[in-house]
Amino acid sequence: MTAAATGFAGPRRGSLRGRLASPVLLLLPAGLFLGFIYLLPVIDLVRLSVSGPSWSSFFERVFSVPLYWDSLVRTMQISLTVATLCLLLGYPTALLIRRSSGITRILVTAAVILPYFIAILIRTYAWMVLLGRNGPVNKLLTGLGLLSEPAQLLFSRGTVLLGMTAVLLPIMVLSIYSSVSRLDAALPRAAQASGAGPIATFWRIMLPLTLPGMGAGFLLVFVAALGFFITPTLLGGPGDQMFAMHIVQQADFINSEGFLQALAVVLLVITLLFVGVAGHFLGFEFIWGGGKAAGPAAKAAGAGAATPRRSLLSGLADRIGWPVLRLLGRLGPAWGRWTVLVLAGAVIATLIVPILVVMVISFSSASYLTFPPPGFSLRWYEKFFSDPNWMDAFRHSAVIAAASAVISVLLGASAAMGIVRSEIRGKSVIMLLLVSPVIVPPVVLGLSLYGLFLRFDLVGSVWGLASAHAIGGIPLVVIIVAAALQGVDRRLEQAAALHGASPLTVFRTVTLPAIAPGLAAAGFFAFLHSFDELVLSLFLSSAQLKTLPLMLWADINYQLNPVLAVVSSLEVLLVVIGLALAGPVLARTRAGA
Amino acid sequence: MVQRMTIWRALPALAVLALPLCFAQGAAAQSKEVIVQDPGGAYGEALRRIMYGPFEKETGIKVVTVQEARSGPRLKAQAEAGKASWDLAFIFDQETKILGDCCLAEIDYKKLSESAQKTLAAMPDNLKRPKGVALQVIGVGLAWNKDKYKAGAEPQSWADFWDVKKFPGRRCMPAWSRFTFEAALMADGVPKDKLYPIDMERALKKLAEIKPHVTKWWTTAAQPPQLLLDGEADMCMAYTGSMSKFALEGAPVAISWNQGFVYYDFFSIPKGAPNYDNALKVLSWRLDPKRAAELTSNFPVALPSSVVFDAADPKISGSWANNPKNLAQAIEWSPDYWGAISPDGRSTNEEHGQEKLNALLAQ
Repeated sequence: MTAAATGFAGPRRGSLRGRLASPVLLLLPAGLFLGFIYLLPVIDLVRLSVSGPSWSSFFERVFSVPLYWDSLVRTMQISLTVATLCLLLGYPTALLIRRSSGITRILVTAAVILPYFIAILIRTYAWMVLLGRNGPVNKLLTGLGLLSEPAQLLFSRGTVLLGMTAVLLPIMVLSIYSSVSRLDAALPRAAQASGAGPIATFWRIMLPLTLPGMGAGFLLVFVAALGFFITPTLLGGPGDQMFAMHIVQQADFINSEGFLQALAVVLLVITLLFVGVAGHFLGFEFIWGGGKAAGPAAKAAGAGAATPRRSLLSGLADRIGWPVLRLLGRLGPAWGRWTVLVLAGAVIATLIVPILVVMVISFSSASYLTFPPPGFSLRWYEKFFSDPNWMDAFRHSAVIAAASAVISVLLGASAAMGIVRSEIRGKSVIMLLLVSPVIVPPVVLGLSLYGLFLRFDLVGSVWGLASAHAIGGIPLVVIIVAAALQGVDRRLEQAAALHGASPLTVFRTVTLPAIAPGLAAAGFFAFLHSFDELVLSLFLSSAQLKTLPLMLWADINYQLNPVLAVVSSLEVLLVVIGLALAGPVLARTRAGA
Repeated sequence: MVQRMTIWRALPALAVLALPLCFAQGAAAQSKEVIVQDPGGAYGEALRRIMYGPFEKETGIKVVTVQEARSGPRLKAQAEAGKASWDLAFIFDQETKILGDCCLAEIDYKKLSESAQKTLAAMPDNLKRPKGVALQVIGVGLAWNKDKYKAGAEPQSWADFWDVKKFPGRRCMPAWSRFTFEAALMADGVPKDKLYPIDMERALKKLAEIKPHVTKWWTTAAQPPQLLLDGEADMCMAYTGSMSKFALEGAPVAISWNQGFVYYDFFSIPKGAPNYDNALKVLSWRLDPKRAAELTSNFPVALPSSVVFDAADPKISGSWANNPKNLAQAIEWSPDYWGAISPDGRSTNEEHGQEKLNALLAQ
């Protein structure tokens, strides 16, 4: 983005300028699409929320009934705790990725990236299996004699925090890693050469330089946690109701119209408020991964915001943090390395063990969930592949995800072209609008879309659902393709144009081959996004169009059986294959960006 | 470079693949089918095996089931948009009034089959209304693990359920205001004919007493038997249907009907349902006494007609909610109270109570 804005401003000939002006039009399809299916429903949501006797009457109820106010406070507390936990655990992991090399590095990276692509629903289910009454944790504790009988581990605040932290950790690690990896490796070495110990190096070099990544990760996790629905519903007890759960529950009441929308608006406004405040200090680029789309801008914004505070904050931090670190420094240099290893090891276990346990259970011969399985068989795989309901759901999910990926790539890639290759003003605002769906809580989006879908008869239609999923798919595509486009040398395009190639030919022969890996990666992301989507589908699907996540959701609520483990294992397989195919491509995109 | 191109080409290929599948989907929606709300779980499986499977074979009409615990809000939203998408739904008794005018079509009873007419003739008028027919009678009672509370020392009332000294052990209850409020009041000494209108504050105070002993506030019918059998709870307020199924199969669970609740689920056809005639055919099929009896022998939720009662095995009908023996012990649960608008005028009594219960549970 900034590369485009500041990169090339040489003199151009009239005809060329005429051609270059047209890229703005490329923003139109995505703009119209999102305007209709994203902005319009949200506006309608707000309209319904103020449709009471007086405009504020529904909101007064939200804030006068202690249930909702308490839940709002609880939601903030949980989100804050989860974000803090993610930061504490994610930082050592990101450092470990950077420090390790060879096979260790590949394994650690895979342990972080793999869960990132697996559906939240499936990872939460894995925790239910792990912590269940007959699950491995209880078996281990009773086996060691620490417990006389299996304990109730599920349905408590602790489980919710653990589950949400595990689910959101990859976002934090990737976010921190993106700033750790940009760190000049010579800096810490220079510091050490100048006599600084490992702790001083960490305090004076690593920490300040990775602060933007930490801030971005913290906010992304916090904002995502605010709108969480799936994990607290499945892992929590009645005392752990988060705000999004009230919205879903109210959607089950007949007389809740207006009030229901008011609840959703409250959640939306709070989310936007946090994002707005954070964006003001950090730069809004944190939403789309800091450096990826606009590295220098994010850095500049981060530095810009940090400079005036540096004296005060760093003074304060030095006075408190430094003595503590000095004390820790007496522990000897091995301690630091061990802390990183132990913490990062715990993180990797948290991310990978649940998935492994679920994969083992899918081969169980028992008809209920127990670990270790009493015997092994393929009966649950047979059941899955012979059950027409599961097969239909699988087909529906694949078709919807493919359609959604096509919509996302077509609209998202052209919008990315439009934004990177045009000279339009207010690029950051446009980018922000394009990317904003990722921060809107899915429950809010689903609720607002439901009205629109009913009116236009889209409920339970393949293209309707695919379009709804594309709301979240387009931002992914825009971010990736914009990054890929910035890697393309513009002078090549201009040279081709000067030699008489039409804009289309330029695109086909120069731009397209260069961004093809990015496009493929974007398509993969968009496909998976739709394939895993549950919350929107809960609102917008129909009896005839059950998707895989919907089937999983229904089964998890009725009966936990090993078929769910089969579905989970197959999804893991799909992601592994997808990543293996896309891996080289992704690596090239990163190198290009 | 080669690899790049193949991956890039895969995308349009996917799109091309997807298109015919989508159109096939659209075409199928026009064909013979009927969309029926379904309770899921073991009951849903029994329905599929005994009712819908044979129905599809004989009529060629595909029965599409929607698993949804509660139809009211969906029906209302669909009706408001003028786009009914279900053909047959079950409506909670307390919601039949609110939904009747806006959202439900009249049932053309004359078009039902002969055998269905026979079943209907033996049903009380209140259960065959113009816009809904009661296809299932539901019971909610007190269930416990027989290994924990031996014969002679069994809980027999909600007062016993609340008495954790005499009956130590873990409890489970539904996370709903209906049933739990009445039980709390009875445990607090309110006679069963003085329950309505519910004194919500008193009920909540009593519920707060038992709350520390409740390990799980359940939300689906399948949960309480599982909780009892897994040992997560020893005594539950539970749906009698799914619990009796386990009891009949020999699981160590027992049910008391004393101070239990009996109510009816009404089956209705939404206004503008896409396959009205097919919905009538399903209704006829389900009202056939022989099939209805066979269904309940597989899952003990009964159709409230004496014709079905007579056709069923007495061993099984013994656990039906409308068995006179059970009915005599149960209380007259009031759907009218719960469906009425609450004093503050903002919602129904049920929704109002739910909000208060949620607040208590969240503490």
